[in-house]
Amino acid sequence: MDVPLYLRPRVEPPLASLLRAQTFLHSLVDALGSPLNVLIPEVVAENAARFRAVQRRHHLAGRVYYAHKANRSSSLVRRLAAEDVAAVGIDVASLEELRHALGCGFTGDRIMATGPKDAEFLWLAARVGATVNLDSPGELEQLAGLVRGHGLARVDVLVRLSGFESAAVQGGTGTRLLARRSRFGTPVREAEALLSALERHRDVVELTGVAYHLDTTGVEEKARALEQCVLFMDECRARGLAPRALDIGGGFGVGYLADAEEWERWTTALSEAVLGVRPPLTWRGHGYGLRNEGGTVRGNAALYPAHRPTAGPGYLDELLSMPAPVLGRPSATLLLEHLHDLYIEPGRSLVDQCGLSLARVLDVRPAGEEPDRYLVRLGMNAGDMSLEEHGVLMDPVLLPRGGPADGEEEPVGVFLAGNLCLEADLITRRLVHLPRLPRAGDLLAFTNTAGYAMDFHAHRAQRQPLARTVAVEPEGDSWRWCLDEDYWPLTSPGGTTA
Amino acid sequence: MRYDSITEAIGNTPLVRIDPAVHGLRNIDLYAKLEMLNPFGSVKDRPAWHMARPHLEGADGEGTVVELSSGNTAKALALLAGMHGLKFKSVTNRMRVPEIKELLLLLGAEIEELPGRSECLDPTDTDDPLTHFHQALSDPDSTYLHTDQYFNPRNTEAHAAGTGPEIVKDLDGRVPDWFIACVGTAGSSTGVARVLREHDPAVRVLGLVAHKSDFIPGIRTIDEVHQVGLFDPGTYDTIESVTSGEAIDGMVTLIRRCGLLSGPTGGAAYQGAVRHLRDADAELDGTGERRTAVFIVCDRAESYLSYVRRRRPELLGQAKRGHTAASLTDAEAQAEARVITVADARRWTAEGDPRPLVVDLRSPHAYGALHIEGSVNIVDEVFDELVRGGLPFSKRTPVLLACPVGEKSLRYAALLTRRGHPDVRSLAGGIVAWRDAGAPLVRE
Repeated sequence: MDVPLYLRPRVEPPLASLLRAQTFLHSLVDALGSPLNVLIPEVVAENAARFRAVQRRHHLAGRVYYAHKANRSSSLVRRLAAEDVAAVGIDVASLEELRHALGCGFTGDRIMATGPKDAEFLWLAARVGATVNLDSPGELEQLAGLVRGHGLARVDVLVRLSGFESAAVQGGTGTRLLARRSRFGTPVREAEALLSALERHRDVVELTGVAYHLDTTGVEEKARALEQCVLFMDECRARGLAPRALDIGGGFGVGYLADAEEWERWTTALSEAVLGVRPPLTWRGHGYGLRNEGGTVRGNAALYPAHRPTAGPGYLDELLSMPAPVLGRPSATLLLEHLHDLYIEPGRSLVDQCGLSLARVLDVRPAGEEPDRYLVRLGMNAGDMSLEEHGVLMDPVLLPRGGPADGEEEPVGVFLAGNLCLEADLITRRLVHLPRLPRAGDLLAFTNTAGYAMDFHAHRAQRQPLARTVAVEPEGDSWRWCLDEDYWPLTSPGGTTA
Repeated sequence: MRYDSITEAIGNTPLVRIDPAVHGLRNIDLYAKLEMLNPFGSVKDRPAWHMARPHLEGADGEGTVVELSSGNTAKALALLAGMHGLKFKSVTNRMRVPEIKELLLLLGAEIEELPGRSECLDPTDTDDPLTHFHQALSDPDSTYLHTDQYFNPRNTEAHAAGTGPEIVKDLDGRVPDWFIACVGTAGSSTGVARVLREHDPAVRVLGLVAHKSDFIPGIRTIDEVHQVGLFDPGTYDTIESVTSGEAIDGMVTLIRRCGLLSGPTGGAAYQGAVRHLRDADAELDGTGERRTAVFIVCDRAESYLSYVRRRRPELLGQAKRGHTAASLTDAEAQAEARVITVADARRWTAEGDPRPLVVDLRSPHAYGALHIEGSVNIVDEVFDELVRGGLPFSKRTPVLLACPVGEKSLRYAALLTRRGHPDVRSLAGGIVAWRDAGAPLVRE
């Protein structure tokens, strides 16, 4: 085998010290089964503080809203509920998420309801005084009807805009920045009807802000959308409305990998494998969306940019520092000078380094004819830990049961298969390099799965056990743990010390 | 030289020897092929004209020429299209050099920038935006003339017919021992290499790509070259990568020591060439043999000032003029500025004798949206210029400075006080505090 193509995860404290507590993690899986999710609620609060620090550095008032859909855990939501009321809120995208947020200690004034909404969701949001992030004029009509019909108090609303591409032409910059189409939000060119409706329903809704969310890593597109929203808010003011907050959504990204060179080496190797100049790196030569057309690589690699120089709070800082394309001032200055507050809704990056998913190794055997390749079957399936589903390529950390045996420290390439009786149930579709061959009984720890990967796609197919989730916190040299549903952010929580 | 059309001036560029005192190679003569002296400013003039010519000559003023280009090909095609009464549209993943973008707009080009990558991956969407672009082009009703520089064999032919033979001619019929080119569309390296090998198969061809995580205008990285239809690894004896730092080093050497006004791509070619040839040069010591190498200077420096400013600001350093607000320390600003609370400022602006001049330092757009009644708007950038020279107000006029949160105004208040103005005050907490206190803001 040539140089092992490692994609080793970025692991920071306290996650790094949790990974060193191998006996503790083994005993958790022994007691609660495989797969098992482990969360460190303290980290989510630290991450929120980092985002707030960027906002403060730019002198911007506003809030960090946790996008609940990133993880269904209670401990994370309860930990955030204990944070500064003015600084941290929660963004809920379903009736159950709203009920959960309320049950975890968030009061209505700290909750923002987003996403597709049905009448029950809208009613409860209005009832508890949550802010409703309106997706369309139709939703505004429905909400206004509910408020009038049920005699509810006036509801704070944000309007979510989209389609900034066409507005950019009117901006007079002479270039057209194409954008991914979104099925959410009201296109800017149709905003006139939305404004009239907001004026018509002023007795039951109050426009407190404007929102956008773009699914792109491109900071220029976001800066442009931000500026279009500031211009739109100006128009609102001219018509006597008084929006004050701009909600720029999330999508600030996570850097999953520790080492840029490993990422570069692997992605180059993928192109070469697709071209056929080196052996496949993947199960059945899967190309992650790349294909070979007459010796030229075509298509788009469906991969998350797993190593990135700036992510999370750093990305927010970059966006806020970037000059607006028409008005020329940095985005933060634009917001500040117009006296607007900044709302952000990070999901994935707010739970960065917050948790890991554990799976027990059930079986190890040679993978077909290739002599130095192995198939490792795990006590989890692709639904339990869906990093691959999101295109995130990252090696698991091997946690041996007992100490490593002598003379077996040889790097090895393995395919990780799941516990479903399906050919397609692979935990990764690529050949994963590990520092040595795992044995039955060892654990593999998939780090940084708290955002969208941990149980996001979990299901009860074939009656395999669903992962349980525990919350842990360091205590001296050891760790204290409790079930996720039993965690409360108190100074002396219950639970068991390892 | 008298021509009927500027297109006749394309090609026949000079081959200039680099002074050995500069590059330090003792046994190798290094020549620069100055493609930057083509009429539209780059090596791309040749393939642009060769690819577009059949379309343009039969086009009778209808349609749009379209190309995936963020730079020199777009520039040449925009000019050529304009000469023939056609429009030009450039589609690109990113215009990363602002001067080139503005230049293209000046030339009348339309620019479409492709969207960034998806943050929340949709695994079912594996077609890149370029695939959709190609679908649009192949629509039967399409009036686009796509020059297709990454796949069009006429790109390579332009160099096989022009650039390559010119090098051989200028070396008195000999072929250089090394040919060095940066790889973008692979057109120039492939076309020139083909001609040189036909003359003498012993020629060694060095292809330079950008270091994977780096960006050099006009050069692709080792992964990106695999997406180029004209790229054939067999063309190159060696492929090496260069960094943007090396590109700028090379560019500065060519400019300051050789009188060649090269851009970073030419700099990368020079620096990559010298780095590669150093070992071969050492081996030739004492043999008495001489060798020759040629690299391409593909375009000029002027369009890359912001590229340089971002990576090597000290090269564009300006001497500081006078005291500026930025030169004050935080402690100095705190100590020397007078501040005034919102409540006192409200009284002062209403009852002061004389009443103060209120200067709002925010952008005109923000000022237009809401401001303190009676204030004047001097945006901070302009104000900064004004106060470099001295005091822009009479000492008899008291001044209230206001910015969003009272940070910038504090510095200017300190600076103007230091300049001798007796009564400049900074609004504590700025317009935000004014608003939060419920003080009136107007929209006029």
